[in-house]
Amino acid sequence: MRCYRRKLCYVDLTKERVEILDISDSDIINFIGGSGLAAKIIFDLVDPKIDPFSSENVLTFMTGPLTGTIMITSARFTIAAKSPLTNGWGEAHSGGFWGVELKKAGYDGLVVTGKASNPVYLYIYDDKVEIRDAEKFWGLDTYTTDVKLKEELGDSIRCGIIGPAGENLVRMAGIFFDVRPDGPRVAGRCGLGAVMGSKNLKAIVVKGSGKVEVDDPIKLKDYLKRIIPSIMSFPTTQLYSTYGTPTEVEPLYYYGNLPIKNFSIGLWDNALNLRAEAVAEKIVKGHRACFNCPIGCWRYVDCEVDSEKIIGRAIEYESLGALGSLLMIDDPARVARLHQLCNKLGLDVISIGVTIAWFIEAYEKKMVDESFLNECKPSWGDHRFVEEMIKLISEKKGIGSFLSNGVRIASKMVKGSESFAMHSKGLELPMHDPRAFKGMGLQYATSNRGACHLYGFVLRVEQGERVIDLGIHERVDRFDTEGKAKIVAIMQDWSEVVESLGVCKFLQITPGHLASIYSLATGLKIMVKELHEKGTRIFTLKRLFNLACGMSKADDSLPDRITKEPLKEGGAVGQVIELEKMLSEYYNYRGWNKDGYPKRGTLEKLKLIKYIEESRYEVYRELLKKADSNE
Amino acid sequence: MENFELFSEKEIKDEIIRFSKVLYEKGLITALGGNISARLPRAGEFWITPSQVFKGALKAEDLVKLTLDGEIVEGLLKPSIEWPMHAAVYRVRPDVNAIVHAHNPMVLGLTLAGKKLKTTITDEAVILLRRVEEVEFKFPGTSYLAEAVASVASKGVRAIILKNHGVLGLGTNLLEAEAIVELLEAIATIEFVCYTLGAEPSEVPPEEIEVAKKYWGI
Repeated sequence: MRCYRRKLCYVDLTKERVEILDISDSDIINFIGGSGLAAKIIFDLVDPKIDPFSSENVLTFMTGPLTGTIMITSARFTIAAKSPLTNGWGEAHSGGFWGVELKKAGYDGLVVTGKASNPVYLYIYDDKVEIRDAEKFWGLDTYTTDVKLKEELGDSIRCGIIGPAGENLVRMAGIFFDVRPDGPRVAGRCGLGAVMGSKNLKAIVVKGSGKVEVDDPIKLKDYLKRIIPSIMSFPTTQLYSTYGTPTEVEPLYYYGNLPIKNFSIGLWDNALNLRAEAVAEKIVKGHRACFNCPIGCWRYVDCEVDSEKIIGRAIEYESLGALGSLLMIDDPARVARLHQLCNKLGLDVISIGVTIAWFIEAYEKKMVDESFLNECKPSWGDHRFVEEMIKLISEKKGIGSFLSNGVRIASKMVKGSESFAMHSKGLELPMHDPRAFKGMGLQYATSNRGACHLYGFVLRVEQGERVIDLGIHERVDRFDTEGKAKIVAIMQDWSEVVESLGVCKFLQITPGHLASIYSLATGLKIMVKELHEKGTRIFTLKRLFNLACGMSKADDSLPDRITKEPLKEGGAVGQVIELEKMLSEYYNYRGWNKDGYPKRGTLEKLKLIKYIEESRYEVYRELLKKADSNE
Repeated sequence: MENFELFSEKEIKDEIIRFSKVLYEKGLITALGGNISARLPRAGEFWITPSQVFKGALKAEDLVKLTLDGEIVEGLLKPSIEWPMHAAVYRVRPDVNAIVHAHNPMVLGLTLAGKKLKTTITDEAVILLRRVEEVEFKFPGTSYLAEAVASVASKGVRAIILKNHGVLGLGTNLLEAEAIVELLEAIATIEFVCYTLGAEPSEVPPEEIEVAKKYWGI
């Protein structure tokens, strides 16, 4: 198991104490690494009842066993904590170079607890782990902070940084990595930047001098060389390489999947101004790639808008949706400018776009008191208004303070607006309207971190892909609901494996090939079936955490707009999500009772009972009783 | 009765590697397409080529040994995606110990042009191929394809055409399975030449294939 460093770095900011602890064999065997190991750590250490902003929350940065190895696209890592947006399981992911550097420094992960009394940053250079003063960086945007840290510590460091939004505990704040010169790469979702801010932790600087080995480098290298032709010839790989994620805009618009005007209309041909070719022509000046990635989906933008330079990674499919079509802004350069503003201030573009779109609609429907607003009135397509809102939200000033909590909390305070507050479990919907792909609706509703497009991404199956290795042999209709439960569960669990291994989900590699690579990297002989079971175990552990946090079946939900309001036009005309029907099929497939609690038999099969019995938190054993009493 | 084994397990693996190279060089399998499996007579486990790895230069250590249920017994690489089809044939055909799945261009070309392959145009074809069955297109790697192939294989044929996909040669050993795949391509080429010259391929004299017709129902 040479690809694991077998060490976790624990930093207690309250006690200013650093401890290096070993990872047990059983945790590696049962939870793989990355997202899986993060779930185990949170399950072990976080009292589900705490406030996400309390010092007791635990912020974990976990690499996977393949992170930093010779495996291609092995740049990925996971950040997890109790989320201030969902009040349950929170996680976000990033690529780039930071995770690789952490592993080179000798750690599979970093676990941050407590709260510093003053702003600090962490400095990690191999064995040296220091908590350093960050007073002079506090208040700076992510770009400036990255530049200043490098001025002080040299260009060879890798930084993870929060912006003013994270410092100000904006629940939609993310963590920004490898910000300059070409980035950033962003762990945007679930408000984990605010958790970092709540700990007074401005940045984590990492430098490593080690090398990440694998068990059989010659065989692994040889295998990779030989399977690359089939991986690279996959259509989406080619498209991501050529155009990046913006390549999705045009086809998904025609499917009725690209959200427009807060998910309220299905056709708006101006959206095609945001298509990949237009983006490439207008603002993109090159490609960049994460560590060891042959795809290079990362677009490098270089343009000027209103005399402001937009440089670096400032355009993705998700931002073209969330800051573009969703708000009826159709100029890619304007979207890039807004995206860059979010990057600098430290905000998740998806949550920001959805929250602002909701606000515009609420204002349009006269649900918002005019006295809340300054001169800038909400209207669709007005990039100036959106820019103003982003700034106010990051500073938590005026109306920005009200919106900074995300769309769920904001909409609870505006009567009648919850039906078009687009979130699930408090996490704002990504830019895939599930009415176009009904499995995505079930995926959003049941995803552990709230509305998540990445855990499963079943729209690929609904577009016609088969996943033979996982038993998905049949082609399915995107509007059908029958049979989707099984597909969603299978794909969610496999995504747990991918996020735990530390490879990019854009790598179109079959599960069987990935199992072989894991075997060659670790020396463990693991087959797809066993890996998939681990994925199910990890998914279920996160579910238990959510239930322990007080979530219930009622949280496996979608906004009324998605379940009750059919689109009147476009590629998904007339469709709504029949969630209840899919949900009961899904619970049944997963071995959960009708209220969504995993049954004892299911937990036994997944070897999770032991962890529940040994947990320091009684609430998990209560869950077991609930599951038993309602078989 | 004890089996008298002509091939050791090592020889089986070496033969798979050798035939992969031969078939690739003959253009009957592509760089990444096609797959070969073989087993010791009637064994419940078989060796198969790996998935999506260049077939012209395989090594014995690349091969994967599977049970008929697809459990990996030996090997670290991903087995061919078509393993369910191979396993399904072994289940219904205890006489078959080797399967070559190739992508013969001539056979497919003629089939897709609507021409039914004639196995009565050479004496070799009459003897070796006898009957050729066709299977309608099913997506590669799926249980549907495995079921359809097993259903046809259970009729006792040794040569199967998978429409829009490729061919299967079944044999008691790899030499036989490979010979069938090569012969399919050879007769398809002969027939192609005839059609190109505007002629219907003529059969060997009826008295020569009388036995074949009488006993084998060609």
